[in-house]
Amino acid sequence: MQAEIIDNIRFTTLSPEAIKRMSVAKLIVPDTYNEDGYPIDGGLVDQRLGVIDPGLKCKTCGGRAKTCMGHFGHIELVRPIIHPEFTKIIYLLLQSTCEKCHRILLDENQMAVAKEAIETFVTSDEIDVDRVAETNGKLAALTKKLKSVKKCPSCGAAQQKLKFERPTFFYLNGNKLKPDEIKDWLSNISNDDLKLLGIDYKATRPEWFILTSLLVPPINVRPSITLETGERSEDDLTHKLVEIMRINQRLEQDIDAGAPQIIIDDLWELLQYHVTTYFDNETPGVPVARHRSTRPLKTLAQRLKGKEGRLRYNLSGKRVNFSARTVISADSSLTVNQVGVPMRIAENMTVPLYVTKWNIEKAKVYVSNSSYPKAINVITREGSRKRVNDTNQEDLLKEIVPGYVIERQLVNNDIVLFNRQPTLHRLSIMAHRVKVLPGKTLRLHVSAAFPYNADFDGDEMNLHVPQTLESQAEARYLMQPKYQVLSPRNGNPLLYIEEDEIAGMYLLTKDNSYYTKEETMSMLANLGIYEMPKAEKNGMYSGKSIFSMTLPKGLNFESKNKHGKVIIKDGLLEEGIIDNKLVGEKGGVLISHIFVEYGPDFNEKFLLNIAKLSLGAAYIYGLTVSVKDYYLSSKIISERTNIIKSYEGKASDLINSYKAGKLESLPGYTKKSTLEVLLYATLSQARDTAVQYLNKELNQSNNAYLLASIGARGNILNMVQMSMFLGQQSVRGKRPTRGYNGRMLPYFKKNTKDPKSKGFVTSSFFEGLTPMDMYQHAMGSRDSQMTKSLVTAVSGYMYRRLINAMMDFYVDSDLSVKDANGELIQTLYGGDGIDPTLEAVAHQKE
Amino acid sequence: MVVHEVLSESEAKKVSAEYNTPIDKFPKILQSDPQVIKIGAKPRQLIKIHREDPTGKYSAYRYVVESV
Repeated sequence: MQAEIIDNIRFTTLSPEAIKRMSVAKLIVPDTYNEDGYPIDGGLVDQRLGVIDPGLKCKTCGGRAKTCMGHFGHIELVRPIIHPEFTKIIYLLLQSTCEKCHRILLDENQMAVAKEAIETFVTSDEIDVDRVAETNGKLAALTKKLKSVKKCPSCGAAQQKLKFERPTFFYLNGNKLKPDEIKDWLSNISNDDLKLLGIDYKATRPEWFILTSLLVPPINVRPSITLETGERSEDDLTHKLVEIMRINQRLEQDIDAGAPQIIIDDLWELLQYHVTTYFDNETPGVPVARHRSTRPLKTLAQRLKGKEGRLRYNLSGKRVNFSARTVISADSSLTVNQVGVPMRIAENMTVPLYVTKWNIEKAKVYVSNSSYPKAINVITREGSRKRVNDTNQEDLLKEIVPGYVIERQLVNNDIVLFNRQPTLHRLSIMAHRVKVLPGKTLRLHVSAAFPYNADFDGDEMNLHVPQTLESQAEARYLMQPKYQVLSPRNGNPLLYIEEDEIAGMYLLTKDNSYYTKEETMSMLANLGIYEMPKAEKNGMYSGKSIFSMTLPKGLNFESKNKHGKVIIKDGLLEEGIIDNKLVGEKGGVLISHIFVEYGPDFNEKFLLNIAKLSLGAAYIYGLTVSVKDYYLSSKIISERTNIIKSYEGKASDLINSYKAGKLESLPGYTKKSTLEVLLYATLSQARDTAVQYLNKELNQSNNAYLLASIGARGNILNMVQMSMFLGQQSVRGKRPTRGYNGRMLPYFKKNTKDPKSKGFVTSSFFEGLTPMDMYQHAMGSRDSQMTKSLVTAVSGYMYRRLINAMMDFYVDSDLSVKDANGELIQTLYGGDGIDPTLEAVAHQKE
Repeated sequence: MVVHEVLSESEAKKVSAEYNTPIDKFPKILQSDPQVIKIGAKPRQLIKIHREDPTGKYSAYRYVVESV
């Protein structure tokens, strides 16, 4: 379908006549309901303005609550009131016209120039660029002069000083201009002059900026709510309108009674205040109108404005049907493509089934079912929707013919969209196949959590059921995780195994890892593999051969990782250890190879198999970590003392050479700051030395070290901090200093450069921190926490802006990038036409 | 040195056909841009920019506009 192109939209002001034409009722009573709870005629909920209570009929159109959209009414203001949103234009018009004759303040020559300029803009279709620029300049020069004209060129009257004071006050030479005077002034400006001022007099006459009657929106716009107590609570707009009417009525009475001018003027001003806040309750310079409970009233502008306003809250973003949300949890027996849906959700969500002659029998089964996979609604060819129940079930069964639509409950293998906020990239919404499960959480495979950036500590996710065949097909063929294996960022796999799975994979495939027949069988049967790998001579099965059972026959693959070469020949792992680089976060080269060579479906199964298999291996090994892995042996303690002593020695060497004046200053630093930089750099290396020592000292019989060394979880630095010492703390990239005068804590000596007084923490988490160490560590922790939260906020905002700027870009068939308006963004995608998704694989193949 | 060049109407048409894009959908450059003033390009003309960097020689196109 070709979208209609909107040529232009015109906004104009309503004339008092237009308001009266639109209005179905002149409202005269400043109240809503009478004592009997019945709407007052001529009140603010006059039944001619529409109905919202079911059962009542609209007195204007006769429609019911659902069919009557409401009708406008109006209030006759006894004195004119300035419309607060037009004060700027009013000020401009008053400035540009004579206070006596109300002509535009231009002499004949200037008027001719302006006339010609306006013609140039309005009439010529084919714009002459040079002429437009020239006339633009001339007009600008004229506009500048207008404000400072002292004498009217038309009638010769001297122009007095005009002042505008927010929100709605105008002064001529210090005397207040009342709205009726302004109205007279504005109505006297001729149409010809308005044209020169850039106002289309056919659409808007300036005197309409001064209100004489006020349009009252239908009650559908300001519905009252009935509280549980039976009390009626009116909308803020109704409250405001009641006040406007009340003051209006008092003003009328006072005028009729011949009250003194001051009293009338005061009331008039009060009326102006109420009208101003009715339009915008956040008008600068105006006290906020409040509810009885001191809550500020939400008037017209507040309804539209901002994040919670009509535009951003109700139009740009909407609530949707066919969606579900609950806590997520992990399920390693689901594939990355599946999502576990609780029965409660599956029962409540429906999918349309379009009845054809091929599926009519299936459709009838759903209609005849009285429990779970049943039909909820039947939609006839004419489009009328009937809810299936015990009484009409039989009739509906006979009625169904091709062309009907049945809304059935969600069943296994339906396609649904799964989403986690913040939805930062395209992988934050993917299509999964439903697996209906007992329980109350949505379940997904652990490996599928990464693209969503989800974890299972209470995260919730949303589920949406596509309702048309087109959307289902689009989801099925484009959005399933199995097709989204490679990252659009760098081509590395996004779906891979992590943590204990990596550990299990290492334990399984390391050299000299053998399993008994029973162990092998139990591991493989869990994958649904019922064949055995080739046994070794001693009747045992090597881990490498067990792993090979998950590989496709005929796979030849070679790679290198930190454990050495990895060689797979004809689907058999002959040499090497499967680690992070092959199936994990550090590249996942085996996964991308299998994805590219054997396709998404095999890869989906492969991911599931290696995850299950490695968990089986970790289970057999009995992988566990305990405090004893971090135990401070006397050896470690003495080495710690050595390391600390050696670094403190290095620090005092630096301090001594500084004191002796031998320290060469770094470029751009003073001698003093050079010392600080060098001390910080040197002391920070203490931890690295400790890491090297632990690498030498510990071996894989220590499970914590095992996990860290193969990259499953944690790193050696964490072990150092637990078993040896925390090391140098940093605040803003420097040694912590602030606190007391010349020292961080009163415990230390003043103005010393001693490492221990400047964040060099020598105690460990295992033995506990000294009070001084605790303070120093807390300073460093706070600094890194602050930086972290600041960085996420800043980069998140940047992300949002980028998405909004680029959301409609697409790569055209000629590899150029265009946006939805057809604007050319790049002639060749990325400047080189390369799709990063397949980049990594291309290099791997070379 | 980056050289800017005004394209004649027929040249512009050729470029437009090459990229399958109307010339007013090309990236924009302001009439007041120093290089545009220097070569005397007028609004609604297409200019060609000859660029050279370590990846080689290439050209970019800009559609001259009066204002943003």
